Amino acid sequence: MSDIPGGPMESRPVHFIWILDCSYSMLGEKIGTLNYAIREAIPEMQSVAHDNASAQLLVRVLTFSSTARWHQAQPVPIDDFTWQDIQVDGGTNLGAALSLVARELETPPMPQRALKPVLALVSDGQPLDEWRAGLKAIDATPWGKKAVRVAIAIGADADRSVLQEFLGNPELPVLDANSPKQLAAAIRWASTAAVKAASQPVAGGAAGTKQLGPAFAPPKLQDDDDDVW
Amino acid sequence: MSVPPHWEILHESVRGPGKAHNQDWYDVDDTVDGTLVLAVADGHGSAAHARSGLGARYAVDVFLHRGREFAARARDSGDLRQLHRDACGRVPREIVRDWRDRVERHVRKEPLDGVPKGGELLAYGTTLLGAVLVPGLLVAWQLGDGDLMLVEADGRIRAPLAPAEPELGDETESLCGRQAWDLMRVHWAPVSDPARLPRLLTLSTDGLSKSFAAQDGFVQFVREVDERLAAEGAEPIREALPGWLNHAGSYSGDDTTAVAVWRRPDDAGPSEGGPEAVPSEDGPQDQDRGTESD
Repeated sequence: MSDIPGGPMESRPVHFIWILDCSYSMLGEKIGTLNYAIREAIPEMQSVAHDNASAQLLVRVLTFSSTARWHQAQPVPIDDFTWQDIQVDGGTNLGAALSLVARELETPPMPQRALKPVLALVSDGQPLDEWRAGLKAIDATPWGKKAVRVAIAIGADADRSVLQEFLGNPELPVLDANSPKQLAAAIRWASTAAVKAASQPVAGGAAGTKQLGPAFAPPKLQDDDDDVW
Repeated sequence: MSVPPHWEILHESVRGPGKAHNQDWYDVDDTVDGTLVLAVADGHGSAAHARSGLGARYAVDVFLHRGREFAARARDSGDLRQLHRDACGRVPREIVRDWRDRVERHVRKEPLDGVPKGGELLAYGTTLLGAVLVPGLLVAWQLGDGDLMLVEADGRIRAPLAPAEPELGDETESLCGRQAWDLMRVHWAPVSDPARLPRLLTLSTDGLSKSFAAQDGFVQFVREVDERLAAEGAEPIREALPGWLNHAGSYSGDDTTAVAVWRRPDDAGPSEGGPEAVPSEDGPQDQDRGTESD
């Protein structure tokens, strides 16, 4: 319909940012499963995006270890997104990663016309830097305040209190992934449910009103007694 | 005897793609004396707001009732100061109270399963955008998202109820929120010179404005509609409107509703009547965009 007044129309973007722990403690099966799980989740993310034509799903990937760096810096449409394996390297500088994310959540570079971004944090350890400063920077951005956040704790050594603080909502639980099977399920859930939640209207939110409960809830992951981290 | 302005009224509402029901509602009351009362409401629509289509309908019904009352007071009284107090304080409270009464009556008739007591309003959550136009006065109210646009007599385009900071994402204020009357924004515009009445007033749900790729796409939309109305008249626009809204819905995924009232270029509006105009006023002005609480 070319004669519509006002010019072209298009669906709004959902910016999905993976924030992935690549510290040495992820070495071995954990990083292998994470790479596998995200690669396997891409078709499901594509399927969610196709089912929701009113949203353009754009993906970025940030890794953190001794430093934080963009593994996929430019937002890529999910249909064009391919997974390049990530490698382990050094410590757990979560604060550096969150600070980098905060810069991307400013407007600009984020457009005002968008759906809520999704921040998906995956970690198996305890931060070694001033992570609260990074979290505060995210919370200070307009889009950071509104972001749909999911957190996946890999194994028993993950600092769940940090991840809970990242979520910023006591009603939203950290998703525990204590085995390869659970991690794959958690990644699958985070890849899809969070995108759906980001594109749902929510009453409340603004001008002093409280958000009325979590828009989505993580699944109960099946135990996997044979292979536990 | 004054001659009431002739308003062409255009309206349409379309269901979002893949949605079972249209959860928007609208209505227009156009009386022979030149009074217009119009409203649109956008039920929130997600699973947590399962009865929001009904909530939107109640919101529009309630607005039309209270809007007619306000219009009658405006026509009968020249006391602009009192009308302004009513617009900012009394009317928002009446609308919210009436809407809640309607919802509570419906819940008693058809209880909601599994919803804790006190949480029922959420199921009916909706926005509300409405306007009353009487000779000499335009007043509009807004709670939540949506767009009220004015094309003034001189062609300027304004969005007098737009929030100071653009709202990000899809969160919105709602009639189901706590003390919702305090969140209602009010546009108050006495019009002393009938020739300066807005020539076009549009109310639309957010599905329309959020569909444009360009930041100023929606303003451009209003500008072009105004130009086409002047060039072609109302009928071609009336015919095209459903297609435009469906097109917008395919990008927003949302139900989409628009109501527009247009004054023909040769219609100068009423020459007298209505509330006594402020002598220094030479056109519509925002006198108060906030609300009063008492």
